[in-house]
Amino acid sequence: MDLLKVGESVSLSEYLKRLWAHRHFMIRVPLEDLRAQNSHTFLGSIWLVLNPLLQVGVYFLVFGLIMPIDRGVDQYLVFLTIGVFVFFNSQRVISESTRSLVINVGLIRTVHFPRAVLPMSATVGQALAFIPVFVVMTIVVLAYGNWPHVRWLLILPVFVIQNAFSLGIGLIGARINHSYRDLENLLPFVFRLLFYISGVLYSVDSVVEDDFWRAIFLLNPMYCLVSLWRWVMVGTSTGVEVWLATGVWSLLALMVGLSAFRSKETTYGGTG
Amino acid sequence: MTDLAIRCSEAHVNYFVRTNRQLIRSVIRGQKPEIRVIEAVKGVTFDVNVGESVGLIGPNGSGKTSLLQAMTGLLPLNKGEVLVKSIPTFLGVQAVLRPQLTGWRNIQLGLLAQGLSKSEAENMTSSVADFCELGDFLDLPMETFSSGMKARLHFAVATALAPDILLIDEALAVGDRSFQKKSSARLEEHRAKAGTILLVSHNLEEVRQSCQRVIWLEGGTIVADGPANDVIEAYEAS
Repeated sequence: MDLLKVGESVSLSEYLKRLWAHRHFMIRVPLEDLRAQNSHTFLGSIWLVLNPLLQVGVYFLVFGLIMPIDRGVDQYLVFLTIGVFVFFNSQRVISESTRSLVINVGLIRTVHFPRAVLPMSATVGQALAFIPVFVVMTIVVLAYGNWPHVRWLLILPVFVIQNAFSLGIGLIGARINHSYRDLENLLPFVFRLLFYISGVLYSVDSVVEDDFWRAIFLLNPMYCLVSLWRWVMVGTSTGVEVWLATGVWSLLALMVGLSAFRSKETTYGGTG
Repeated sequence: MTDLAIRCSEAHVNYFVRTNRQLIRSVIRGQKPEIRVIEAVKGVTFDVNVGESVGLIGPNGSGKTSLLQAMTGLLPLNKGEVLVKSIPTFLGVQAVLRPQLTGWRNIQLGLLAQGLSKSEAENMTSSVADFCELGDFLDLPMETFSSGMKARLHFAVATALAPDILLIDEALAVGDRSFQKKSSARLEEHRAKAGTILLVSHNLEEVRQSCQRVIWLEGGTIVADGPANDVIEAYEAS
């Protein structure tokens, strides 16, 4: 009779197999949470659509009408909408994943499952929440006369790449946040800074002229993701190097994230 | 020869507690952060066979819960090792899954969390719900449940899949008499089907009823390990 050793980490392939076995859990939990989220509001799930609409409205009012900073960007509202929504999706995935271990400590202490289920289910939840956001974004794009294009076939792949990146960073975040809860307090400011240096509000090409600085922007995965989305949706010119940088960033984030997360797998639920 | 379910050898569990509250202070003053080591379990060794139910007794702070948690792999062991036939299911009093969701949803999530597929979980939900006997309360968010009601739901979810090894930490104490009867009947049935149970409890009567063997812990070490009646008598006399 073979006995297992408790608290020993399993091989990567076994871990992935266990994750796969929990796929229903990963989808069901965020679905239920989304449902519960707006249950105390008058408008209920309408908020899922209303929220992105209001966001675009505010940005358009401020940056489109009150103090235009379009700097010659065509269809500034389209440009802005894509930028803001894509950025916020990654921001939410990363912050929710980061908090997932702390929020679900009760579940961790109760049931056995591979802990990476938690950040992954946070990611799935944000992907679900992105559906209405995406619809609003598409309406804005269409309203400005950008008709569906073959490039739109790449929407899903780009979204998958984006989420692979965000999840990877989220896994690292969860691992750090488990020991140092300080990260939760720091994250909003990191994202605020990133928001302003990722070309969400302005076109990097029109601000940065020299090649050296343009290369520096490739080191910012958020800039790469926003650029890819703009190209896919409305054909804003984007170089091959942006694709390459995004691919490298996503793969790297996911690999480093998973191994960093797994290195402390057996301690989650403990005192940090 | 009987099959071994758990082999615990020289298990040590330590807690490391930072005594100065903020790490930043000690860093600024250039002091080493003060870490107090609490030895909760100090070298515990025992074997449990398949089909045995073992009670763990001892005063508060004797290491009972830490030992159970270490056996599930939740708390890391600092020395020694625990070998098991399969990863044990832990049943504790902090019976919270997702407080803002209804009882029904929590049952389903609890089953899915244990790796069931969607259809398997749906099929099992009603039998788990029947066992809880919570009726219409299952439509309410779990945060509105009393602690006894939570314990019922939690017990039902944890035992639904009949895990090989079940570790129970005071979880039965909160239920009322009829539920206690029902749950010990389920445990007995479970044990008869070659399940293994470790039960932590301060209710010696309950331990006497549901366990043939008892381990008495004190200060993180084993004082006695033997037939339930003998050990409980010695414990009561101490």
